[in-house]
Amino acid sequence: MKKWRRLTAFLLTAAMVLMMACTVMAEAPEMDESETVKIGVLVSDTTSAEALAFRAYYEEYIQNQYNVNFMYSDELKDSAGEASAIDNFIANNCKAVISLSSFDRPAQIAQCSGAGVYYAVATGTLTDEEYEAAKTNEYYVGAIGPDLMTEYQTGYDMAKYFLDEGKTKFAIFGGAIPYYTDMHIYRAAGMLAAMCDVGEGSYKDATGMDIIGKIYEDGAVETGAIGNVEVVGYVGGYDMDDAWFGKCGEMAQTEGLEVILAVGNGSDFFGAAKGEGVQIASVDAYADSYKEAMEAGTLNYLAGKFSASIGPIFMATYSAVKGYPIRDAEGNALALSQGYWVADSAETFNTYYAVDSSKEEPAYTKEMLDGLFGSSYDDFAAFVSAYTFDEIQGLK
Amino acid sequence: MELKSVMNRYGLKQKIFSIAPLFGLIALVVCFLAAATAKDLNIAYSMKNILNQSVVVAVIATGAIFIYTLGSFDISLGASACVSALVGGMVYNATGSVTLMFLTCVGVAVAIALINSVLASVFNLPVFVTTVAMLSVLNAVVLMLININGTGSQIAVPTDAVAGLNTTWFKLLVLVLFFAVCLFVFDFTKIGRLQKFLGGNPVCAKLSGINNKRLAIIAFVMSGIAVGLGSFLSITYAPTLTKNTASSVGMDVIISIVFGGMPVSGGARSRIYAAVVGAFSMTFLNQIMVMFNLNSGIGQMVKAVIFLIVVSLAMSNQRNKEILPR
Amino acid sequence: MERKAVVEIRDMTKNFGITRALDRVDITVYAGEICGLIGENGSGKSTATSIYAGMQSCDNGQMFFKGERWQPSSMMDALEHGVGMIVQENGTVPGITVAENIFLGESARFRKGPLIRRTEMIRKANEILKSIGADHIEASAVTASLDFQDRKLVEIARVMGKKPEVLVVDETTTALSQKGRDIIYDIMDKMKTDGKTVIFISHDLDEIMEVCDRLTVLRDGKIIRTFEKDEFDEEAVKTSMIGRELKGDYYRSDYDGSYGQEVVAELRQANLGDQLKNLSLQLHKGEILGIGGLSHCGMHTLGKVLFGAVKPESGEALVHGKPVRDEAYAMKEKVGYVAKDRDVESLCLDASIRDNISVAGLDQFAVSRFLILPSKEKAYVKQQVDDLSIKCRSAEQYVSALSGGNKQKVAFGKWTGRGSEILILDCPTRGVDIGVKQAMYQLMYRMKKEGKSILLISEEMAELIGMSDRLIVMKDGEIKKEFRREEKLSESDMIRYMI
Repeated sequence: MKKWRRLTAFLLTAAMVLMMACTVMAEAPEMDESETVKIGVLVSDTTSAEALAFRAYYEEYIQNQYNVNFMYSDELKDSAGEASAIDNFIANNCKAVISLSSFDRPAQIAQCSGAGVYYAVATGTLTDEEYEAAKTNEYYVGAIGPDLMTEYQTGYDMAKYFLDEGKTKFAIFGGAIPYYTDMHIYRAAGMLAAMCDVGEGSYKDATGMDIIGKIYEDGAVETGAIGNVEVVGYVGGYDMDDAWFGKCGEMAQTEGLEVILAVGNGSDFFGAAKGEGVQIASVDAYADSYKEAMEAGTLNYLAGKFSASIGPIFMATYSAVKGYPIRDAEGNALALSQGYWVADSAETFNTYYAVDSSKEEPAYTKEMLDGLFGSSYDDFAAFVSAYTFDEIQGLK
Repeated sequence: MELKSVMNRYGLKQKIFSIAPLFGLIALVVCFLAAATAKDLNIAYSMKNILNQSVVVAVIATGAIFIYTLGSFDISLGASACVSALVGGMVYNATGSVTLMFLTCVGVAVAIALINSVLASVFNLPVFVTTVAMLSVLNAVVLMLININGTGSQIAVPTDAVAGLNTTWFKLLVLVLFFAVCLFVFDFTKIGRLQKFLGGNPVCAKLSGINNKRLAIIAFVMSGIAVGLGSFLSITYAPTLTKNTASSVGMDVIISIVFGGMPVSGGARSRIYAAVVGAFSMTFLNQIMVMFNLNSGIGQMVKAVIFLIVVSLAMSNQRNKEILPR
Repeated sequence: MERKAVVEIRDMTKNFGITRALDRVDITVYAGEICGLIGENGSGKSTATSIYAGMQSCDNGQMFFKGERWQPSSMMDALEHGVGMIVQENGTVPGITVAENIFLGESARFRKGPLIRRTEMIRKANEILKSIGADHIEASAVTASLDFQDRKLVEIARVMGKKPEVLVVDETTTALSQKGRDIIYDIMDKMKTDGKTVIFISHDLDEIMEVCDRLTVLRDGKIIRTFEKDEFDEEAVKTSMIGRELKGDYYRSDYDGSYGQEVVAELRQANLGDQLKNLSLQLHKGEILGIGGLSHCGMHTLGKVLFGAVKPESGEALVHGKPVRDEAYAMKEKVGYVAKDRDVESLCLDASIRDNISVAGLDQFAVSRFLILPSKEKAYVKQQVDDLSIKCRSAEQYVSALSGGNKQKVAFGKWTGRGSEILILDCPTRGVDIGVKQAMYQLMYRMKKEGKSILLISEEMAELIGMSDRLIVMKDGEIKKEFRREEKLSESDMIRYMI
């Protein structure tokens, strides 16, 4: 009797092991690369350093590693342009669209899903309402990018870095704040929040996240004291005419100014004009022009997107096209946050830049991305959340 | 020499040049279809796409032909389309009525056109001068409208409200009907004849009893109707309106009508179909470039070269070198 | 002494559409002579000389200049190498100064670094103007401020400034007053004396026989005959030109200058600068009222004022007793106007014959006053083309490709087609050959007999005397004399009051 019990237990155990093995084997997704997958890429900006770096990663690395063909749109100015570009993609048999343009995301999703084409958002996010409406759409792959809290924190960290060095006189470049662009408003709000905390003051009687509402009300940032810190200058918008450049130059030369905090590209607009000893901090990407700026001292702090950051969303899209969509337990699409690499010296910048611009060993290599193909939502999220330079080096 | 002789004898050169743009369009269509078949493109979807990309410019440019025929031009067409669309969008958001939105689009565009032409008449200026001033005014109005609406960057009409009109048949209907009306007015009424003559020789036109101010107003009204229709179609295609809505229309209209064989200085050789032919030709050419991944840089250069060839061929016909001495 | 051939044209052929403008033509012109070319419109005389002067190329043939092969690439090239041409129509650029017109294309000559020495240019231009006897023209004046005649003199100065060996004068004198003609005659004489060559083209038989040493007649693109000076005979020349004897009278044969009592159009004390000074006149039903004078006497302005194209400062223009508001009103009152400057004011050259004829008559054949049916328009235009014998490929042919005479017929047809009762004709036979002129005179007379009224403004005295029931001579904006139609009336009678 004892013998039969042992045998039964053994057989049951073996059966379970076998079943588990079969399940594991059945679940291992196969990346069939026999057919070229055409993917359309929607871009509203084609010439900035960031745009060029992203494009280089897709066209010069990903396209060489996978059987994919990227089709880029022209520069887009409005939602009609987006619709037209997506129509072109669909007509040219693109199986998916990766969007870096945000004039009208819901319309983009509707247009793609209506044509049976997958849609994903790179280096950006949907608003909560937009996500709620799209999360169960089988053709919506998801969004990976800095969410608004990340943007707020980026601004906060940037200002805090200089405040900790004892700086008290700041100027802010507001970028697209006059056009009510959320990410720039949140970044600026983070900067002001840091000043409130360290300067022990308030911005128009608000501190922390409440500052966001204040900036929305005005469509601009007001200069003035925040405790024992001061905002001595502000320029917003991208008019790019003589008057605007004049204002930028004037701000860069303000008496007593110590640091220019830019919600976007700062060194291009203020680098040449700034006075001696004034430091500049920007949010942008790891590109040639900033390398030069860092080395020349016209850029001192950069929170930059690394070009390979659009790797995971590519793989999620590719995986969906191949029949292995990455969804959470409720079947919802990806909504993952990913932040910036921060360099506060030319040396750090160069280290990051070397990896970011590498065509052989970028931050996310093929081997790393292959592991995401058909993976679970949790595994995918864990991978994406380990986005700092050091964390990524640890993953390799 | 023999061929030249025969061509002169029967005025073949004149006839060939007048229908050459049509042949050009046919050639582009054939090239497109051949390339699309070879690349296994979704041709049905592509044709729908081409209509989407051409129809707004084709409609607005057809109306603009009346202005260009007079030897004038209107630089504020794009801005006018943007303002009409924005006001139309605001009316929809306030009333929920698509019909009212349509009437608003057309009404606002016609009103802008009337202001342009009547002001020119009152101040005795060439009409294009008032359109230059109007461009600045309209650009300011656009920014003001967007700010009034609150978001500061856009005015959005709900997609569902216009989805039923964002269809091939509706766009074709608008285009065909409007073109038919314009063709009738241009070729079968006194208005068209007088406009062509006025554009060809304003001095002689005056001495033939032609009232240039009245004709200019009529031309601008036709153009205004076209802009209104075009702006409505823009809303149905992309219901989120920003300050950049229809921003490229002004330039696209000029390129289309010249590409379609319309003489730049207007006059008797103006053709009402030039706009439609030109708009669709440009789109087919664009699509061919896109197919071969040449939609920027080299593609732009290719388009520019083709444009120069087309225009110089058209101009060579207009400048009649073989004139008897008197 | 053996004559030296300077200009030689051998076996030249040129086609314009169906028109064979030159058919294997041979022309030789010698040094020290003024050679006349005469012929009807379309005879080829202007074509041959314009090819030689570099305006256009021939289809076949060869040209020689002083024995060397001659193939100028343009008129400027021809002028640079010694062959200059003065054309009938306007050849100056209106928006620039006289000096700039004289030195058109040669501003580099006056360049000093990046600047142009304008004072030097003006000084040299004034010298040239003085040398041709046109020193009343100031070289610093803007060309548009000059009248047609002075602009023509500027053109002459431009050509003569280059001291050409061969000068072609193409129908230029018809647009000039006596003073202007004298200037040209002096230039031609001087060239002849200097052993240079002049080719003179004119429709005016008297003038050409007076001025030329030899006269070559062309017809239908062929050389018909060359007359030496001692062979000059008016009838023989006319016969060669037309290929038949000119039957019937050239002008009217009657001396009955009667007309109706009804005043159909009038000017009452019209004033306009120095063009019209308190001028009053009346045009009656069935009358041909001739207006003559020097080029600047104001008669051309008078025509425009009566048509409503120009408003007088005071006084009024009336048609059927009612003030003329504008051209459209005049047209409604059945007034038609054929302008002197045909290519600018009477026709749209870029348009077809059909467009030009129908534009003034749209309300005649439009359905419900606005709808144009192509069939009705075609019939309307065909009527005029047939009635006026307009030589063309089809009514769709562009007017720019027609000869001067046919263009003038189109301008006429524009107004006769709509049944104009009152016609204001300003130099209607300018640049038109004898055959067509005769046809036009006959048409005018027929219209008079039908009870229509014609205001005939002309610088050709013979025409005015030959056609008018009443003839008014103007000078300096005023009426100096009125003549009734009579056999004894002569040009010298007119001249006495003109100058």
